[in-house]
Parts: sequence; structure tokens; C-alpha cells
Amino acid sequence: MFSISQDFAPPFKLISPFFILGSLFYLFSSFYIFFFSAADMSFLDTKVIGFVHLFLLGFVMMTIFGAMAQLVPVVLEVGHFGVELFYAIWPLLLIGTLLMVFGFLESPALLPYGGTVVLIAMMVFVMEIFLTMFKVKKLNIVMSSVLISNTFLFFGIIFGLVMALAYAGTIDADIGSLLKAHVYLVVGGYISVTIMGLSVVLIPMFGLSHGFSMKPLEISMGMMSLAVVLVVLSAFIKFDIIENFGYALAIISQLVYFYHIYIIYKTRARKERDIYAISLIFSYLSLVVSLLLGIAYFISSHEPLLLAAAWQMFFGFFGFLITGHIYKIIPFLVWFERFSPLVGKQKVPMLSDMVPKKSSSAQFFFSAIGVSIILVAILLQSDVLMKAGASFLVVGALAFVRSVFYMINFK
Amino acid sequence: MYSKEELFLAISTVIDPEVGYNLVEMGLIYDAECDENGNAHVTMTLSTKACPLHQMILQWVKESVLKMQGIKSVEVDLVWEPAWNITMADAHVKKALSGA
Repeated sequence: MFSISQDFAPPFKLISPFFILGSLFYLFSSFYIFFFSAADMSFLDTKVIGFVHLFLLGFVMMTIFGAMAQLVPVVLEVGHFGVELFYAIWPLLLIGTLLMVFGFLESPALLPYGGTVVLIAMMVFVMEIFLTMFKVKKLNIVMSSVLISNTFLFFGIIFGLVMALAYAGTIDADIGSLLKAHVYLVVGGYISVTIMGLSVVLIPMFGLSHGFSMKPLEISMGMMSLAVVLVVLSAFIKFDIIENFGYALAIISQLVYFYHIYIIYKTRARKERDIYAISLIFSYLSLVVSLLLGIAYFISSHEPLLLAAAWQMFFGFFGFLITGHIYKIIPFLVWFERFSPLVGKQKVPMLSDMVPKKSSSAQFFFSAIGVSIILVAILLQSDVLMKAGASFLVVGALAFVRSVFYMINFK
Repeated sequence: MYSKEELFLAISTVIDPEVGYNLVEMGLIYDAECDENGNAHVTMTLSTKACPLHQMILQWVKESVLKMQGIKSVEVDLVWEPAWNITMADAHVKKALSGA
């Protein structure tokens, strides 16, 4: 018997809390929508800011961090510097997220504390990734994406903490400028660049796509990185031309990235429409819808268009891309831990056998309908539609939580 | 000691748990040979360099050949040229994956 290296698959007990908490935060975020008033929504409304942090920190970041514990060795082709550090990340991120959300909703005095705890969680994560990257001998474009995105995250969380201090009244600073820099560094610089880099590894791997060029990724990543730098600079030097050029560059970057994904989709050998495939199709269609709404906002300056664009980007694009990948990542980790030692000794399940068909389908359909109804609700500023959409979303989120627990407990 | 076909038959017990097909019908095993002393050598690839199961798959290939009577050692050579693509898979695999 040969020894099995754990380099490419950390222990599941280390990663499972990230996915369990991520799915629960997805559910909490869905419930939260019942408390929105569609008629007077605004980006500066503390309810909206609280929701954005609940969803992005609790669901998106929590799940991405857990996934990265497994995906970093896959993408970088080296073992982690200190994968045990991930045991510290999720409790810190959990506490920090809760403090920040309550801070926005009830007590701004909690924000610096929540911000500091989140900062520590993310610094541990970023430093672990940087130290792992030292082991890489030659960087390819995907490895570079990890380096670039984590550098943006590093600055994004520092801006976020300064903003939290200003928001709580501890220091005097221009919150508007800090907010713009924080949002672009974290959403554009970290989440978008991470998605770009990882997706061109994972989507071809699961779809068995070959023979496509990586040039569109290089272009889109370069454009997005430049866009983030320009918008951050313009936030402080107040130069409209640079700012608008940054926004335009970010939109074009995403369109080029979408083209790349389309090419990967067209060259795939595996054409089955499982939960992974349909989740990704909805996700990337949401990206296009979000970009179109963003363009419409720049033409009209009508705020509901920007809110709708952000909604479709967060719950449509990020949400479905992440839930789709959860149906691949959790079965792999559980299979690796529980069934791989049994290969050759007894019949073992295929990874697809570990995905609950009914609850995953229910999650997809209810969530997709919910996201679409809420998109319309934001555009029409309709409270009734908002509540109707939230009802679908909550059912979808419950089905998602059920799917996550089913896969984790699969025996 | 064993022919290429016999070695391929042994390796065909190794199944990719993600796709559900064995490595031979996926076209991932490029060559296999065995000398008179029971030393086997397998040349293979994977569908992607990023495959998280790659260490394990190499191990399964070794174990599948070691189960053959008289085999003393197995060396697995993982190569990336020629790069694998779906045209290397058996016709029934291509058909099943394409959903036809």
C-alpha cells in the first residue's frame, strides 16, 4: 500500500465549517430580504450595507476561503504553507461578520471591533496564500490571478477598517471615497479576479474542455486590475475622466471574460446538463444582465438600475457560481476522505451519486425564480414583488442547506 | 511477461470517480510494458494538470498492475505530451459524454 499525500486535499473537518456556515449565511441573507423596502432602497441605507456584508462576508467570502483551502494546491500545484491556519479563519470571520452586520443595523460602535476581527481573519488568509506562493517556482496566468486578487484584498480590507473607524466616529475621514475604494478593491479586485482565475481551471476541468486560448483571460484580468487601480485613485484625487474610464474598463473586462467562458463552454466534451452546468449557465447569464443594467445606469443615472445590477451580480452571478461549485467540491472532499481508501476493496459511489437530485433541483429553481422576481422588484420598486421573491429565495436557500448537509453526511 | 493488452486490462479496473469511466477507455493510458523479470512501466496522462486526484490515480494504477501475478515493481510515467483531448477516448465514452 502506498502512502496517500494530503497535499492536494486537506482534511474535510478543516473545510466543512466554511461550507456549513456559508450555506447558513446564504439562508440568513435570503431571510434578510423580507426586511427591505423596495420603494426607498439606497446604497447608503445601513440595511443595504448590512445585507451586503452578511452576503459577501458570510456567504461569498466564507465559501471562497473554504474552497481555496482545497483549490490553492490544485491551482498553484504546491502544498499549502500552513493549511492548519484555516482552523482559525472561519471562527474569526464568523464573529467579525456578525459584529459588522449588527453594527450596521443597531450599533455603529461595534463596527471597528467587527472590522478588526474580519481584518485579522483576512490577513491570516492572505498571508497563508502569499507564503504558499513562495513555493511556486514559475507563475502562470492563473497563479498570477491568485497573487493579484490577494494583493487587492489586502488593501481592500485596510480601507474597510479605516472606513469602519470613520463610520463609528473614531477617526475623521471621507467615508464616500473610502467606500468606493473598498468596494472596488474587494468586489472587483478580489472576488472578480479570483473568479476569473479559478473558473478557467475548474470549468474546463469539469467540462473536459481543451484547446482554447488563455489570451482572453490575460486581457480581461489586466483590464480589471487596471480598472480597480484607476477607480481607487479617482476616489481620492477626484478626477472624473479617470473614474469613468475605470468603470468602462471594468465592464469591458467582464465582457471579455464572458467571451472566454463562452469559448470554454463551446469546446467542452462533457455536455450533460447537471446541477453544476445549469447553475453556471444561470450564473453567467446573470453576469451579462448585470453588465447591461450597469451600462443602462451610466447612461441614465437612475439608481434602481445600479441596485438591480449589483443584485444580479451578487445573488445571480456570485451566488449561482458558488452554489454550482459546491455541488462539485463537497462531494469530492467527502469522497476523498470516506471512499478513496476503499477503492479496489469494495464498490464506491461516483461523485455524482453524492449530489441530492431533488433538493439541488429545488434549490436551483426556487432560487433562480426568486433572484429574477427580486430583480424586477428592485427595478419597479415594488414591495409586493420583493416579498414574493424573498419567499422563493428562502425556499431555495433551505433546499441548498439541506443539500450541503446531505453531501457532508453521505455514507 | 505480460502484453500491453493484458496490462491495459488490469489498469481498466481504475475508474475516474468524477467522469465514471475507466482510465483506459478515457484514453489516458498511452503505453504499458513489462520485462521478463516482472518490472512494469506505464506511460499515462491526466485530463488536466489541475486534477486534485492525480496522486491517488497514479497510486491506483500502480496497485492495479501490482495485483498481477509475478509483477515485482511498477513505474508510472506521467506525461503531458501529447496533451489529452476527448478524441483519444473510446467512441462510447465520447458519445455518452456528449449526451448523444
